[in-house]
Amino acid sequence: MNSRILLAGFLIPMAMIIAAVPSNKTKQYKLTANQLLQEAVSYEPYIHPDNVADMLVQQDPSLQLIDVRTPDEFDKFSLPGAINIPLSELLADQYVDLLDQGVKMNVFYSNGTLKSNEAWMITRQLGYSNNYVLQGGLNYWAETIINPVPPASTSPDEEIAKYNFRKGASMALGGDVDTKSAETAVPAVPVITAKQAKKRVAGGC
Amino acid sequence: MGPLAANEIISQDTNLIFAFLIGIGFGFVLEGAGFSSSRKLAGVFYGYDTVVLKVFFTAGITAMIGLLFFSLFGWIDLSLIYINPTFLYSAIAGGVIMGAGFILGGFCPGTSFCAASIGKIDALVFIGGLLIGILIFGEGYALWEGFYNAKFLGIPKISESLGLKDGLMALIIVLVAFAMFWVGEWAEKKFPREEY
Repeated sequence: MNSRILLAGFLIPMAMIIAAVPSNKTKQYKLTANQLLQEAVSYEPYIHPDNVADMLVQQDPSLQLIDVRTPDEFDKFSLPGAINIPLSELLADQYVDLLDQGVKMNVFYSNGTLKSNEAWMITRQLGYSNNYVLQGGLNYWAETIINPVPPASTSPDEEIAKYNFRKGASMALGGDVDTKSAETAVPAVPVITAKQAKKRVAGGC
Repeated sequence: MGPLAANEIISQDTNLIFAFLIGIGFGFVLEGAGFSSSRKLAGVFYGYDTVVLKVFFTAGITAMIGLLFFSLFGWIDLSLIYINPTFLYSAIAGGVIMGAGFILGGFCPGTSFCAASIGKIDALVFIGGLLIGILIFGEGYALWEGFYNAKFLGIPKISESLGLKDGLMALIIVLVAFAMFWVGEWAEKKFPREEY
C-alpha cells in the first residue's frame, strides 16, 4: 500500500505542475530535405511589387521590408522603410525577434531573387512564418514601379489603371528613388528586356 | 534536441540498436512482473488480478508526464513524435479481434513471446495462431483493403477535440488511472482466487 501512495504522491503533483504550466511553444524542429522540397513546391512565397508598392504608399505598418544585400549596396539604394539584414548575418541573435514573429509581414528583397530566396529558405527551415520574397527582386521592382512601361493605347482599362498606379507609386516613393536608383537599375537592364515578353503574358498581380 | 533519430543526432541504424536494447529490457521486465503467466494476464478480465492494468497504466502515465516535462524543458519536440494515425473502422475491428484473442489465448502478442522465451507451450501455440493470422491478413489483403483504409481520421488527440491543454488532459488521465487502480484493487478483494 505504501509504495502505491508514494507513486500517487509523486505522479499526481507532477501532473498538476504540468497542467498548470504553459506548454512549450518553442519551435526547434528542422525540416528534412523532403519536407523542405514540399514547402518550396507547394508554398508560394512571392509578393508582387504592385502589392508592396501599394502597402508602402498607404504606409501599411504591417509591412517590413528586409534588404538581404550587403550594407554597401543597401547604402547606395534601398526601398523606403527597409532594414538591412545581410544574408551572412541572417542567423545573428539580434535579428531573431524580427524574423520570428507573427505580427508583421517580412518581405525579403535583393537585386534578383537568389539571395532573398535563400533567406526565405533558411527562415522556413527554422519554422518561422510571415516571411515573403519580393517577386523578381529590385530588378523587377525597377521595371514595374520605378520605370513602368506605358501600355499601348489599345490596352484594356485595367492595364492602363495598373500603369497609372505604378506611375503614381513611383512618384510617391520618389523620395528615395533618385538618380542613384538609375545606377543600380542599369545593370539590370538585360534582365528587364529579357523578361519583357514574359511579363506581358503573365499579366497583373 | 529530441527525438534523436528524427533530428539526425543518431542514425536510423543506431536507432534500431536502441530499439533492440529497449525491447530486451521491456521483455525482461514483463517476464519479471509475471506477465508470462496467462492466468495472471486473464485475471484483469475476471477481476482477480489487475496487475496488467496497473503496470501498463503506470508505465503510460509515467511516460506521458515525462514527455510533457521533456517538452517543457525543450529536450524533445512532441510534434515529431510518431503517433499511429487513426483508421476508425480498422481500429475498432482490430481492438475486438485483439481483445477476443487476449481472452481466448491468455496472452497479448508481446507477452506471448515473453512466455515463449521461458518455454511455455501455450505461448508457442499462441504464436502459431498469431502467425496464421498474419498470413491470412497478408494474403487476403485485397479483400479487406477498403475496410482497412476506411474512415481515416488523421491523428486526432482527445485533448484537441475537447479543446483542453495537453497538460490538463494529462492530469485528468492520471486521476482517472489512479481511480481505476483503486477500483482494480477493490475487484481483487471482491473476486479473489486462491491459486492461479
